[in-house]
Amino acid sequence: MTWTDEELVAKSIRGDADSFNELVLRWERPIYALAYRTIGREEDARDVCQETFLRAFRALPGFRGQAKFSSWLYRIALNLCRDWIRRERRTPVVQPPEDVDLLELAAAAEPSESIEDLVARQDLSRVVERAMALLPEEQRTAIVLKEYHGLTFQEIADLVGCPLSTVKTRLYQGLTVLRRELAKNPRTKGTIL
Amino acid sequence: MTDMLCGYANRDETIVAFLYDELEPEPRRDFNAHLLTCTVCRDEVAGLRAVRTSLARWEPPALTSLQSTVPETSRSAWWHAVPAWAQVAAALLFLGVSAGIANLDVRYDQTGLNITTGWMKPASAKLAAAQTSEGGTKPVTNQSPSGAPWRADLAALEGQLRAELHASQASAPAQVRAASSDAETLRRVRALLDDSEKRQQRELALRIAEVVRDVDTQRRADLRNIDHTLGLVRNDLGVEVMKQRQSLNLLYRASQRQ
Repeated sequence: MTWTDEELVAKSIRGDADSFNELVLRWERPIYALAYRTIGREEDARDVCQETFLRAFRALPGFRGQAKFSSWLYRIALNLCRDWIRRERRTPVVQPPEDVDLLELAAAAEPSESIEDLVARQDLSRVVERAMALLPEEQRTAIVLKEYHGLTFQEIADLVGCPLSTVKTRLYQGLTVLRRELAKNPRTKGTIL
Repeated sequence: MTDMLCGYANRDETIVAFLYDELEPEPRRDFNAHLLTCTVCRDEVAGLRAVRTSLARWEPPALTSLQSTVPETSRSAWWHAVPAWAQVAAALLFLGVSAGIANLDVRYDQTGLNITTGWMKPASAKLAAAQTSEGGTKPVTNQSPSGAPWRADLAALEGQLRAELHASQASAPAQVRAASSDAETLRRVRALLDDSEKRQQRELALRIAEVVRDVDTQRRADLRNIDHTLGLVRNDLGVEVMKQRQSLNLLYRASQRQ
């Protein structure tokens, strides 16, 4: 039987640790992806993800279910990302290694994928990552929440605490900057009109 | 990309809502109709769609599960981490507390060895009390030193047993604290081991990358050398061919003269 997030939260509050473990399993990947795409550093994103769940665990008794559990988690994670960016006093840094990381490559390879395809896929991923790192934090967050987490404009507005029209404007401006940047890059300019 | 302008009302927000399929049916129809006539908006929508396609290629690195971050105390089988000596201490503590609650009483008198529990007086004690009140004699326990030959020893033993029970009760919280700090230490050691393993993996990846780079550099240098040598050979060959051609020309001219 599959429990809903809200049912697992209720069971966790009653002291069932396995239920909280289930929530971690269910949400660790999206929260980590959100943190990584927002701050752009693997280790720090992992720390943010870990801290998000620890904070959620501690604050669980106070969770009254006014919002969805996922929205609550996203808010905790975004606040931690913002703290990280302020603490570091810089925009997110994307730091792909100079040399190819073979272990990472081996782990990421699809069984039917040639090494050339894999490298091309990773190159493209890095190009996008670099372009995203150029965006201001608000635009990047809006794009990450919309593009990778499928939140509605209204949900994003509630999460980041701004009007609906601001969310749309941030998305439009961010996508426009990305379009310009990707059009400059030899690897992507053929695909961007 | 086009830099021309279009005066469609709320254009930027409409384009974004259109892109993400969050436009209400009526504005959507209107904007679709507008796209048929406006190349600027059509190009922009196509360009932003292409951006979205590229965005889909951005994958974060793999994540190993965070399950180890869930507090250890919340695991169901937490007692597996408690060492055997701590479990024995806990068992002794339990026995001690049980004995204390049960008011364990050990006596040895003329009737033999008596072990009693509970807070009610035993029947023999009531009888002795009755005898005392009726006959004015001393209680059985003090009747005759020879009547209870081991009394002093037993009293000392009882005292010692009680003292030990009190001592074990007093030391129990310290033992429990020691057990929990032991579990904490184990958790830390596990975290340190995890970190060390990750560091080693990173270093290994770095070494492999270095080897690959060295091999690549060497390969390029070898290719350059081969290319250079081939060039020299080609030059030598060219010179040789030219000489032969000149000799042939000379021979040809000499034969013509004859």
